[in-house]
Amino acid sequence: MSDSVPLTTDHPGQVASATPPAPGRSRRLSDRGLAVAFISPALLLLLAMSVFPLLWALYLSFTDYSATRGGPAHFVWFENYTAILTSAQVHLRALTTLIYVVGAVALQTVLGFSIAYLISRRTHGRGLLTTLFLVPMMLSQVVVGLFWKFMLDAQFGVINSMLGSLGLGQVEWLTRQRTALISLIVVDTWQWTPFIMLIALAGLTAVPKYLYEAASIDRASEWFRFRTITLPLVWPLLLIAVLFRAIEAFRLFDLVYILTSGGPGVSTETLSFHVYKVAFLGFNTGTASAYGILMVLVVIVLTQLYLRYLNKLKED
Amino acid sequence: MAAMLVATTMAACGQDDGATSAPKAPATIPELTKDPLTLSFIWFDWPPAHALEAFANAEYTKVRSNVTIKVNTVPNANWHDAMFTQFAAHKTDFDIPILDSQHIGEAVTNGNILDITDFVKKNIDVKAYNPYLLAAYGQYPQAETGKRDENASLYGLPLLGDTWTMIYRKDLIGDKPPQTWDEMISVAEKCQADNPGVSGLAFHQANGSDAAAVTYNTVNGVYGGNLWDSKTRKINGVLNDAAGQEAMDVLVNKMKPLTAAGSGNWFIDEVNAAVAQGKACIAFNWIAASGGLLDPKQSTLGTTREEILDKLGFATLPSQKTNLVPLGGMGMHVSAYSPAANQAEALNFMKWFEQPDIQKKWAAAGGVPSRTDALESPEFLNAGPFNKVYADSVSRMRDMWNVPEYARLVDIENTNVNAALNGAKTPKDALNDIAKEQQGVLDSGSRKGGGGL
Repeated sequence: MSDSVPLTTDHPGQVASATPPAPGRSRRLSDRGLAVAFISPALLLLLAMSVFPLLWALYLSFTDYSATRGGPAHFVWFENYTAILTSAQVHLRALTTLIYVVGAVALQTVLGFSIAYLISRRTHGRGLLTTLFLVPMMLSQVVVGLFWKFMLDAQFGVINSMLGSLGLGQVEWLTRQRTALISLIVVDTWQWTPFIMLIALAGLTAVPKYLYEAASIDRASEWFRFRTITLPLVWPLLLIAVLFRAIEAFRLFDLVYILTSGGPGVSTETLSFHVYKVAFLGFNTGTASAYGILMVLVVIVLTQLYLRYLNKLKED
Repeated sequence: MAAMLVATTMAACGQDDGATSAPKAPATIPELTKDPLTLSFIWFDWPPAHALEAFANAEYTKVRSNVTIKVNTVPNANWHDAMFTQFAAHKTDFDIPILDSQHIGEAVTNGNILDITDFVKKNIDVKAYNPYLLAAYGQYPQAETGKRDENASLYGLPLLGDTWTMIYRKDLIGDKPPQTWDEMISVAEKCQADNPGVSGLAFHQANGSDAAAVTYNTVNGVYGGNLWDSKTRKINGVLNDAAGQEAMDVLVNKMKPLTAAGSGNWFIDEVNAAVAQGKACIAFNWIAASGGLLDPKQSTLGTTREEILDKLGFATLPSQKTNLVPLGGMGMHVSAYSPAANQAEALNFMKWFEQPDIQKKWAAAGGVPSRTDALESPEFLNAGPFNKVYADSVSRMRDMWNVPEYARLVDIENTNVNAALNGAKTPKDALNDIAKEQQGVLDSGSRKGGGGL
């Protein structure tokens, strides 16, 4: 048995090359070639659909190009960036977006974790409950926006009808400055709380049971167990969920478009909605590209800071 | 052909100097294909779009049996973007874009539609039209209100005329419609007080499309204001002069309190719904969108058309300092990026459509024609109770700006008027912001970078 092929090796590549090709396989196609053949469609798609547009947008962001006016793109260097960063209009949208992101993600985190915690304590029907809670997340944002638009309608909506039957007055959910942004946060929370719940539930079920058993033996209170065992172990996973949700909320467009069109006035216009207007109402492609690039940069910088914090948490 | 298109789509810098880059359509219609051909339109989704498709397939195929008409529709809010993103790609899946009159400047300066001046001279009887209607749906640079510049180029022909009609509840305020704007407001106020659950007024207030902007522009016109000085391209100081401020004050402080709670995002459908459900004493809406009000299936005002008409009246807008009314409707144009055979067919369709007998048939099918003989015909006047309103309004119409910057100008006006109507801004601040921001857009031609903010 001394000439048999070893089952494991430190150099799997060498073993692979020593293996005779399967019958019918082209002798010219090496394993590396095969790997390239398999990867290249996805790679080409990624290059064509993501990398190239990003680089092209980066180039356009330094020009005054307009997609409809055509003609050559003239370099304006950092003029688009300067204009965006110093624009009061952009600052206003940034503040609206910040309020929205903080409000929606905070609410979703509290609710999502609470629901997950309650579900994790159940022994029966946990799967069914989880599935039911996940339904909103499966729906298209446009569909969610449309049916909430009907539900929140001040005249004919079911929400005001219910408030009316309780003897409360009508609320102009989508046409008043304060309530419009709150409505957006509520609708987003309705749809995306299940996402936080799902991640939190995964974290909660992964907490080793023996820790709770040891705490019980020591007669630790429920609150003490939650504070010293549950929360610290679930926290890093929860933060990842928060990161994903914050990025998603930062680029909110669909719900604004359907529910408020950015109104009343521009009070619910988020950065993404504003980019859309710059890009398609005036077809200022250069400015819109710079705007988009800046938004990507903001997400990248914030994500980096966040990940560093997560790593530090892990090390601690 | 491709080289010509590329050459003709070279940038015009957005200056309203009349310099355009639109390619020219031939004066004579080229030979038409005998192969099956689909002639595609693009419009927004509303009843006239469906009426046009049915009408054209029924009538045009009698003369061109190999042609099928397809009217592609998109939601109103996406209408401009759906057309102009395709124009930007220099490839369109439509042959005949139906443009709002205000879109003409943008399409012409970008070379997106054909210059049909020579074609019109040779094939269309221009004297059969009210000159302003012909100008509003096709001329660029824009005509002075009420006139047509015969030396200016034409880029489109009228497809559907339109204006606002006042819809009033005869059973609540009487058979005689209010004659002045002030009278209209006091009648609405009394009606609202006398009929709990029914609001005095219903009108467009949304911040999408041109909803709130048209509402303000209408009141502005009635109270003697101007949108701009087109010769000097001045808005700041013109729009927000004393007349403009008075109009904004009337709209926000006198009219808005008479509307239903939460109506700050209403547009065509919501106003129609309020009327059909008996929730408004007086409403304003586009005539072309009012047909559904007479459908008993969509109304709680009666079980037959006659019963509904016993309660609903349609009248021209009340006047005040002037009798101006908003010009609505759209023209048809030819995409510069359509195949040659489709462009030829499009020209042939336009020639066919503008014939007197076809215009009358279009009127009978629910359309609003623009030829004077069709407007005065019994086919049109008897087709709907609001058609006489349109005929009586033609001489009173005023349009907005049709400059290349239109999309941004109207967005600024929409969002600010909407803000004022919903308490997010004071009327004065809103109007001053509109004037300042719109002026900034018109003056930004030489600006480097940051355009569109």
